[in-house]
Amino acid sequence: MTKISSRQLYFFLACIAPVGKLVIMPSRLATYSGNDLLLPVLFNYLIETGMVFVVLLLAKQGKSFFSLLKEHIGKVGAAIVVLLFSAFLFYAAFLPLFEQKVFVQGVFYDTIPSLVAFAPFFPLAAYLCSKPLSSYGRTWDILGPVAIAGLAGILVLSVSEADFGALLPVGASGAKGIFGGTAHSLCWFFDSAFLLFLLGKIDYQKGMAWKGALFYGLGGLAAILYIAVFYGIFQETSINQLFAFAKTSKFFSGITVLGRVDFLFIYALAFVMIFYCTLPLQAGIDGILQVFGKKKYLPTILAVALNGILVLLMVFFDYRFGQIMHFVSEKVFWLFPVFTVLAPLLLLLLRRRKDESA
Amino acid sequence: MTITGKLEKDVSTLKKLLSAEDILTFDFTSDSGQAFTVVFADPITDKELLGEQVVRPLLSYDGKPTAEEVGKKLTSPERREEKDFQKLSEEVLAGNPVLFFEGMDEAIIVGTKKVFVRAVAEPSTDVAVKGPREGFIEDVKINTSLVRRRLKSKDLKIEFLNVGKRSNTFVAVCYLDGISVKKTVEEVKARLSEIDIDYIADSSYLTHFLASRPYSLLKQIGTTEKPDIFCAKIAEGRVGLLVDGSPIALTAPYLLVEDFQSSEDYFVPPYRATFTRILRILSLFVAIYLPAFYISAQLFKLQLFPVKLLLTIAGAIRDIPFSPSLEMLLVLFVLEVLNEASIRMPKYVGMALSVVGALVLGETAVSAGFVSTPAIIIIAFSGIGLYAVPNLIEVTSVLRLVMLLVAGSVGTYGILLVTAFVLLYLVTTENFGTPVLAPFSPLIRRDLRDSLIKYNLGSLDMRPKTLQSPNKRRLKQKGKQKETQND
Repeated sequence: MTKISSRQLYFFLACIAPVGKLVIMPSRLATYSGNDLLLPVLFNYLIETGMVFVVLLLAKQGKSFFSLLKEHIGKVGAAIVVLLFSAFLFYAAFLPLFEQKVFVQGVFYDTIPSLVAFAPFFPLAAYLCSKPLSSYGRTWDILGPVAIAGLAGILVLSVSEADFGALLPVGASGAKGIFGGTAHSLCWFFDSAFLLFLLGKIDYQKGMAWKGALFYGLGGLAAILYIAVFYGIFQETSINQLFAFAKTSKFFSGITVLGRVDFLFIYALAFVMIFYCTLPLQAGIDGILQVFGKKKYLPTILAVALNGILVLLMVFFDYRFGQIMHFVSEKVFWLFPVFTVLAPLLLLLLRRRKDESA
Repeated sequence: MTITGKLEKDVSTLKKLLSAEDILTFDFTSDSGQAFTVVFADPITDKELLGEQVVRPLLSYDGKPTAEEVGKKLTSPERREEKDFQKLSEEVLAGNPVLFFEGMDEAIIVGTKKVFVRAVAEPSTDVAVKGPREGFIEDVKINTSLVRRRLKSKDLKIEFLNVGKRSNTFVAVCYLDGISVKKTVEEVKARLSEIDIDYIADSSYLTHFLASRPYSLLKQIGTTEKPDIFCAKIAEGRVGLLVDGSPIALTAPYLLVEDFQSSEDYFVPPYRATFTRILRILSLFVAIYLPAFYISAQLFKLQLFPVKLLLTIAGAIRDIPFSPSLEMLLVLFVLEVLNEASIRMPKYVGMALSVVGALVLGETAVSAGFVSTPAIIIIAFSGIGLYAVPNLIEVTSVLRLVMLLVAGSVGTYGILLVTAFVLLYLVTTENFGTPVLAPFSPLIRRDLRDSLIKYNLGSLDMRPKTLQSPNKRRLKQKGKQKETQND
């Protein structure tokens, strides 16, 4: 598998920015920030876009995350940090996975089915995780248009029903509401963390950092636009609308004649989400492989073991999604900026210092 | 073991090597007293030609007993000298008689093979309304002549290899020197020479050995029965294989998009070709997904149906004794049985089968309340849709069944998961270093001009980038002076 080209990377960044943040996050933001929900998401996207820029600056050397760390803190230190990052990604992946589970159970079926309906996801996830991370370049060549078509379709079907006046006046929820929303939605913003594991697998081109950040930002703008439409439709009741992107388009007038055509777009986004949810898992496994070397069956063993553990966790926490979300988004939300903001910035500073001393 | 020059001894040595009853010898003496013996395989040697080109000219022979002198007397254009008994025996088995004579230095192999061939006709699997109608037949020599007639270029190389320990099947490796990638040609030849099998019955045997993933459900080597398509693929930079005994030629590297293209697309206006290509892919998607989505909507998500359609369906399925997925599987099973039977059965009972299958079975099953009308309509539509892309039928019919089983048990999410699996499998599959899903993944913009969208001939001036041909340009247009690097 060849390296990820610049075009593939831009496609990838533009698509991962909105996907995965439109299921539960809009309703949670509405809970914390009310009609000001766009501000927290805007802040988080600005920070994340900046971090994407930083990570892509690091890609210039063409070295893997582990190699970059090894130059500064030695092999043992680098191994510890990379393994910590892998552990973080497994932890961070749990919420989107759980979100997808409740989304599938809630949207794909008229009656809530048992966990068995979601279980086939894990063999596929194990297969995905056993593939090299660079395969994502080619996968997103196909997924990119699917994601764009899905999001655009839902937006087109929903926008006419939205009352954007509901977003005014700005600042009504106060600083506490806005910053509370920003802090408690941090758990959905860790794209730059798994981007670190793409280092060394990207075919770096001049200007890639700012172009990549721009594409990520554009994806973020699409998400913000969608969240605005979502709040414009549901307004005060937004806090109860858990599966945002599956709900806004159902008011489209043509549905009575054509049936739920909007499900085509919802399914398209759900399809993309399958791949998005496995990204942190795949990146985490790649981290372990960077430390221990790519032995023949190790990726498969790790992929199967990890997904086996995830199945057990899903069974254990089957009816505790509320508690899980509360724990991740309200108790240990501070863990996310440590890995997504501080670590890449520190690495960049170390890099700069080394360049200057050289 | 080599020729000794003693006629009796040499003939008996060869007869020992070929101890079959259909290996015959014919002894004759020239007017000057020179003794000759011809060893030949009776069923596959043209004896009339042998008498005409070998025996008759030698009856008056009075020259020296050397292969060179004797050879000059023969009127056969196809002859050569050989000393090695192993090679001589192979030639006899291939239908070429071997001529021995007293005092010889070498035996002479004469090309008077009896050729049983059918006429070159239009292949039934790839019919075109416009364009050439010739199809390959089972004889590799005639097939190479069909290729040579279309590509009258000194760069066209045809190399013959023997594959199969017992069958010694001729495989012709065809490529255009300077246009095909050398590495691919060498790799094809290397993979062929590594094959250690007794018998090659058809070119499809070779696909197993040429594929990078031999156990894959998906196709990995291109196939065609038409010389025009074969030559067009070679001219794009692919390597072609013609196998003796098989009318189906192989091409490598294979791209999935090839099976959505038809030869006719190049003989009709581009907008028409684009329309039919999109139609083909839509048909394929409908054929694979429609039965699955119908089942999944019925079982798990009734909202997917518009209200009026839902009422119609509800009315139709009300008295059906089976679950929706079992009903659909039953209809699919009947369709597959009908399909299989109609291919294998004698033609004169075909009409009766159509009546029994389509009318009696279908109509009666609905009126008896075993299956519903929507199920029959959906499976019939799906059955027709699959044949819009006939080259993929083996894969797509299995995928349809998998989708149906998954839809009946897990619903739409299961369909998405299987699709995700297929997608990932496809994007990670490469054959001879070429991604099978190109030019979509990896996206190669220039190659999209002859993918699902078909540009006019003037725009297809470069060979597909995917194939990495060293000679990139295939069309020069007056007034256009660009990209002449590899002309």
